[in-house]
Amino acid sequence: MGSVVQLSSPEQEKRMQETTDMALFVHTSKEAIDGWNREKIVDALVRETYVDRDTADAISLEVEQQVLSSGIKMLTAPLIRELVDAKLIERGLEQARMMHTRLGVPLYDAEQMIMHPNKENANVPHGPEATNLTLAEGIKKEYALLNVFTQDVGEAHMRGDIHLHDLGFIDRPYCSGQSLEYLKKFGLNLPNSLAMAKPAKHPEVLLAHMVKFAAALQSNFAGAIGWDAVNLFFAPYLVDLSDREVKQLAQMLIFEFSQQAVARGGQAIFSDINLYWEVPKHFEDVPAIGPGGTYTGKTYAEYEKDAQRFVWLLFDVFKEGDASGRPFFFPKPLVHITEKFFKTPGHEKFLNHICDVAADKGNTYFVFDRGSTAKISECCRLSFKLEQSDLEDAKEPWKMRYSALQNVTLNLPRIAYRSGKDNTRLFENITEMMKITADAHSKKREFILRLLSNEKSGPLNLLTMKLDGTPYLRMHRCTYLIGMVGLNELIQYHIGQEMHESHEATKFGLEVIAHMKLVSDKLSRKYGMRFVLEQTPAESTAYRFAKLDIQYYPEEATEIVKGDLKRNEIYYTNSTLYNVGASMNPIERTRLEGRFHPIIEAGAITHIWLGESKPSKESLANFVTKTFRYTKNDQIAFSPEFTACKECGKVSRGLHEKCSYCGSEDVDGITRITGYFTRVSSWNKGKLGELKDRYRNQGQFKKQGVS
Amino acid sequence: MENIPPIKGFIETSFLDWPGKVCSVFFLPYCNFRCPFCHNHVLVTAAESLDSIPLDTVLDRIRSMREWIDGVCISGGEPTIHPGLLEMIKVIRAEGFKIKLDTNGTQPETLRYLIMEKLVDEIAMDVKGPLDEISYAACAGVSVPIELIRKSINLLLENRVPYTFRTTVVPSLLPEDKIYEMAEQLRGATGLTLQNFNPADPMDPALKVVAPYSEEKLKEIQESVDEIIKDHNRMIAESAETGLR
Amino acid sequence: MTLFTKSLCSACQDVKQEFDLEMLGIKLEELGPENPGALAHLAWHELVETVETKGLPILVLDDSSSIADADEIKDYLATINKS
Repeated sequence: MGSVVQLSSPEQEKRMQETTDMALFVHTSKEAIDGWNREKIVDALVRETYVDRDTADAISLEVEQQVLSSGIKMLTAPLIRELVDAKLIERGLEQARMMHTRLGVPLYDAEQMIMHPNKENANVPHGPEATNLTLAEGIKKEYALLNVFTQDVGEAHMRGDIHLHDLGFIDRPYCSGQSLEYLKKFGLNLPNSLAMAKPAKHPEVLLAHMVKFAAALQSNFAGAIGWDAVNLFFAPYLVDLSDREVKQLAQMLIFEFSQQAVARGGQAIFSDINLYWEVPKHFEDVPAIGPGGTYTGKTYAEYEKDAQRFVWLLFDVFKEGDASGRPFFFPKPLVHITEKFFKTPGHEKFLNHICDVAADKGNTYFVFDRGSTAKISECCRLSFKLEQSDLEDAKEPWKMRYSALQNVTLNLPRIAYRSGKDNTRLFENITEMMKITADAHSKKREFILRLLSNEKSGPLNLLTMKLDGTPYLRMHRCTYLIGMVGLNELIQYHIGQEMHESHEATKFGLEVIAHMKLVSDKLSRKYGMRFVLEQTPAESTAYRFAKLDIQYYPEEATEIVKGDLKRNEIYYTNSTLYNVGASMNPIERTRLEGRFHPIIEAGAITHIWLGESKPSKESLANFVTKTFRYTKNDQIAFSPEFTACKECGKVSRGLHEKCSYCGSEDVDGITRITGYFTRVSSWNKGKLGELKDRYRNQGQFKKQGVS
Repeated sequence: MENIPPIKGFIETSFLDWPGKVCSVFFLPYCNFRCPFCHNHVLVTAAESLDSIPLDTVLDRIRSMREWIDGVCISGGEPTIHPGLLEMIKVIRAEGFKIKLDTNGTQPETLRYLIMEKLVDEIAMDVKGPLDEISYAACAGVSVPIELIRKSINLLLENRVPYTFRTTVVPSLLPEDKIYEMAEQLRGATGLTLQNFNPADPMDPALKVVAPYSEEKLKEIQESVDEIIKDHNRMIAESAETGLR
Repeated sequence: MTLFTKSLCSACQDVKQEFDLEMLGIKLEELGPENPGALAHLAWHELVETVETKGLPILVLDDSSSIADADEIKDYLATINKS
């Protein structure tokens, strides 16, 4: 006999009331209805909404009537909820309906997700773990839009005025940068783990702690996990090691981070390692922590040689690439170039060495810390200038933990479309959109504070651990990122020229960003939160905005979006970058894009796409030195392209349809998508459009009659 | 000025045409060779189809990047077949840019003049194959008076100006033993840089199906070449020492 | 030439009072929370970091070089004032 089975036992019921889902009723067939209890509906309505008991009672009766008379064959909890919601609408109880709504995905969508890869983030491979991630993200995204943010913010996101990044990770901060000193001093002592480890006595163990901690952090943050001065902080453990042993350690480190695709959602840990040739000034006199978590009696200045040995050998490993010679995707090595760098013996050779890797494999990021300001870089683009309080922290480097709580990006071209080429309106509309963004940030902050307030029993207990007396996540030092996409297209629509087409266009671009900077400073004072401008990596946002604008502003956007509209491979230019297809040589690009960098506090970058050509390492070193001296550019990276053959396993330079060695068409293209290397086959359509357009420093050969 | 050869192609910033330098590259048209692997063959056989870029225009461009651009690499085609090359070099030098010249070495007298007058700062000479008429003709696509090539090589070996010898390696034209033969013949040189052949768009379409050496293989051959040339250098050094005694 | 200043900067006021900037053909830019144009102009001249470390005023010459010290600016303006 078929029946509606009420699955919940008393204990289960108790558990269910602690969570919010109301999976009360499952299954039915045939004519009998067993275990139906309309009181459940009443309870749910009263508990979850403001509806009074009488109304709830009436609704439950109506629904019961409907169920009994309808001949429904399979009655499920979601269906009951929908029926109740329909009654709420009939009564005009819209607010109650929203509160009573159910989150989840349609059957069809679940099937799609399980069967097909996710292209929003090329760093997510396709597999059961990835599907879990996508499904969970979907629900948390809806939850966030309904329950964390105001309706204004939610709608601005849905319409594509702004993009709230990592909504699916609403219950985590965005990214985290830290110091190995935390592990060296306190060992690996996590709230949830069954065993507690004392501070490492051996370098391999320190590495193991680092990898495990990175994985733990990945499950508490949405984005990148960065490590400061990795080679320096390892140095006290390397004193007695031979070069061979240090190389072995370098290899372990890189392979550990590049093969961590078994963690959350099958996603590699997005990891950055910050590296120095010199001992950074702010660490020179800091007492060094060595094996066992004890002070060695020396300062870090005295570990220069071992730190240099380690960083040199790390780049040896990057140069070799993986087992088939492909570049490592993670960890991303960020080398800081400072005034002191150029005064440190051996820097020429080292610069050639890392430029060799840049030319050959592309891994190296060159971060320029000019003048006397020290900086720390954390996510793919996020870097901070160290302030006085941070420099105090530097004396006890385990305190150096930084986080950006959330990242929200503005759709700049749309603001232009709405402003009708009127300056006053343009700037007003930008301010308006930034206010909405600030509101989004303050809601996220409140939400995270709520999660943290439960401390040890809360979901973010890792971030509340107080091994050094203050919580791991230092809320007072958090930043809130305001990103932008499509400055170039805003300018193009507003004044009729793209930024590479005239100095006037660039100057206007600078004015827009200067305006944003001033508004964000004002909002910071108003909210008592640090809002900082950031160059959004915009892996999928540049595509999403372009698509939505073609839908909502076809008249304005059709001429403006970049890429191939027929193939739907459209995009906006990232952040404040210049048109990727503009034939600007690397000097101009580095110089012009660099003019924006000092007003974009959270690290900015210029990409130089190398295409097929393999430059001379000495020439790159020459260029890097000049970039430091002659520009204000914050960060550059050179991106080569590769074709990896799945048949013969060989890797050749350039993106080809066929393997140039064995002719097989079963090949993977590999290059940098935004802030990291991936397989081109995993890219979204917008990025594919951009890839075709990228200017690769080709020569100018003009066919006659073609202008 | 009307004598100045036309510029048919221009790379504003190159990181690979002059190792160690950030340079601009000017491409001049026409060539007296027909190397089957040539990837710039539009410049060689259909240069008329390309617009000429006035020298003033390119100089204007690189002037605005003066502190970045160390010099100009003049490439082609074959630059030395243009009588006006000299004039062109003088104009560029007057702007304060250094000059590197890419050549196939068929005009040793021009090279000698440029070197003696200190008009070039570096020369890269393509040595196409072993120094015998038959091998050379196969690699250059035309018959070449080997004496001219030898003269240019010997001139560069005098070490009056930094130079490099380069060879594009097409496996079907230059099997390994021929490369080593070349290395032997370039005794005393500072080196011979092997460049991998790119089958994407060669002058002779038949080469499109020729697979280049893998990166590793080429590296291996390069190491052997370095070894051979280094040995010669050591022998010379040793004999010089014996001579002293 | 452009002189970058801000309000509540006594060194800036000194320079402004001592010289007839308009007569010297100097454009005045006052940095402040309501003036993105001035900040953009400063960024165009790649001087944002200089202001952060050396402060104001800054004088940008016609060849885009700059003087970032009030006394040196005064000396410079005094010489061109004479000529």
